[in-house]
Amino acid sequence: MTTTAQAPPSGAGTSRTGAARRALTLIAGVAVLALAVCASVMYGSRSTSFADVVDVLSGTAGPNITTIVESRYPRTALGVLAGLCLAVAGTLMQGVSRNPLADPGLLGINAGASASIVTATAFLGATGATATMWWALPGALIAGVLVHVIGASGAGTGLVRLVLAGAVLSAVLMAYIQAVTLGRPKVFDSYRYWVVGALGGRDFDVFTAVLPFAAVGFVIALVLGPSLNTLALGDATAVSLGARPARVRAGGLLAATLLSAAATAAVGPIAFVGLAVPHVVRALVGVDFRLQIVFSAIAGPALLLAADVVGRIVLRPQELMVGVVTAFIGAPALLLAVRRMRGTT
Amino acid sequence: MTADRADLRTASPRGYLTLGRTVAVPVRRVSVVTAVVLLLLTACAAVATLSLGRLGIPLADLAGALTGGAEGKDAFVLERLRGPRLVVAIGTGAALGLSGALFQSVTRNPLGSPDVIGLGSGAGAGAAFVALMLPDTVPVSVGALAGAVLAMVLVYVSTGTGFRNPARLVVAGIGVAAICTAVTQYVVYAMERDRAAVLSAYVNGSLSARAWDDAGTIWLVLLVAAPLCALIARRLDIGEMGDDIAAGLGSEPQRTKTLAVVLAIVLCAGAVSVAGPIAFISLTAAQIAKRVTRVSGPHLLLSAVTGALLLVLADLAAQQLPLFGNLPVGIYTMAIGGAYLGYLLTREWRRGVL
Repeated sequence: MTTTAQAPPSGAGTSRTGAARRALTLIAGVAVLALAVCASVMYGSRSTSFADVVDVLSGTAGPNITTIVESRYPRTALGVLAGLCLAVAGTLMQGVSRNPLADPGLLGINAGASASIVTATAFLGATGATATMWWALPGALIAGVLVHVIGASGAGTGLVRLVLAGAVLSAVLMAYIQAVTLGRPKVFDSYRYWVVGALGGRDFDVFTAVLPFAAVGFVIALVLGPSLNTLALGDATAVSLGARPARVRAGGLLAATLLSAAATAAVGPIAFVGLAVPHVVRALVGVDFRLQIVFSAIAGPALLLAADVVGRIVLRPQELMVGVVTAFIGAPALLLAVRRMRGTT
Repeated sequence: MTADRADLRTASPRGYLTLGRTVAVPVRRVSVVTAVVLLLLTACAAVATLSLGRLGIPLADLAGALTGGAEGKDAFVLERLRGPRLVVAIGTGAALGLSGALFQSVTRNPLGSPDVIGLGSGAGAGAAFVALMLPDTVPVSVGALAGAVLAMVLVYVSTGTGFRNPARLVVAGIGVAAICTAVTQYVVYAMERDRAAVLSAYVNGSLSARAWDDAGTIWLVLLVAAPLCALIARRLDIGEMGDDIAAGLGSEPQRTKTLAVVLAIVLCAGAVSVAGPIAFISLTAAQIAKRVTRVSGPHLLLSAVTGALLLVLADLAAQQLPLFGNLPVGIYTMAIGGAYLGYLLTREWRRGVL
């Protein structure tokens, strides 16, 4: 079992055509994100037109339309934040572990955060968005450590071991979460969709509670970008270039944990966004982690919002939770990654 | 080991339960003793299932009730409430255990098990689709079979190497399982809206409110599949030595494997069509059978008995544990089987397997 080593950042970064292409990609990415945000505000059980949205923004729309459009602001904001968190966490984890299959959902970190939140809500009487956020952190951290302990037992580490350990841990934790939530339907009425992963039914309180944690995680990720590039050359080379692999790894995992916990506290345990987005981004902008992190922060929200809009449309007037839609979109990315796995153990 | 091989080469009937020249089921004393012990344990669990709890039939009346003397409440509990559920649990557990043993023998890997590689989730998605979207037009078992076959084709195609490479098989299985679970969730939300308990039953598998129809379905599948399993048991046993040796011994490894995979899919689909995608029974049953007896071979009979015992025990817990109310049995098997799989993984990996 071998890990796909990241190639070092190529010299193309200095060439003018490369810079032009990246600028174009950036503009296209921002445009797609803007489209997704517009769609998220426009579509739902009662769809509005783009003109309506413009009217609402300029304050000239009728009260009904205003209420409808404004009711979609919180979920759009949460979608942007959670998409960013998940995608950047996935990029960090794939970089730190040099494992192209790493994803906070697949590796059980989101399930750990959810289990912790559910436990605190059911047995310790925790309520409110901020308390939820604080409880998500230890859960995410413990799950991450546990998966690495299981996955790293024995000589050498394999990327498949981590994924399998994550799947096992997720299965056990999801069983626990379902047992607790099904047994106390009243306590968990508002968590019913959140358990699968959903953007709807939450308000700006959640956004403001989660924002500081996400911001800290994102800043650490941006700072770590250059070090992750060095780490991709292999530990020995990285050390000789003056990097400290252990420190970079710890920082990367800390940031990934913060981001995963924030995303889970906001929208529930969503898998595959953190897996699919870095793969797409790498195909677009190459292996430079500084670029990967920035582009993930654009592509992640776009993907999550698009998935949420699809979920609102397919079952009208009902909604399909965004976690179900991302599994449809993201799991094929895992199947494609399987074909690229090298080494036939 | 050398003695075993000598036996196989001369096709000596010693150590095999033979029927004519084609059927030879490997039988060893330790296996027979273990099977008897497991059957006794299953019987104890079955008695406990019928007699525990507020509605249970008292132990003193149980023998009479079973021989046809049940009246009033006892008759209701035996004939409607717990009787069919118990018979379905035994049949489903046996089918899952058998399916796991077959698949693990073909892939020669404990992880090449229907619940790890997405077979159960695929059957569950097919069953949910047919039961909720096309009610009364297509039998649920046909939907489960179609879903299972589709999931296996998807896994087989996306690995690029068939079932040969365990690492790819496992990862592709996790992906396919995620897609299938999403299909199930979509179908249930589209048709049943807000009923969280219904969703959980379809995603995790449940045995509550099973009828004699379900018992008939699963036992029919078992009755058809079990003789075929016995027919290929010996060739599977030989196949575990590797394709070359198996081919040299004239056991046609590819045909054996294909037949075993088909049987495993049918058994798993049958189980899922009556009880939903109950997780980790097929993985743990075959592994426990292997570890208890410590002899090589696919352990088909033992895995079936172990599967039945595990599912009856899990369902007993689902019915009687006061802590969590009336949870679907699949949640218990997922929690306990998952923990066992975690233990198995750390153990195997420490020894450098996989």
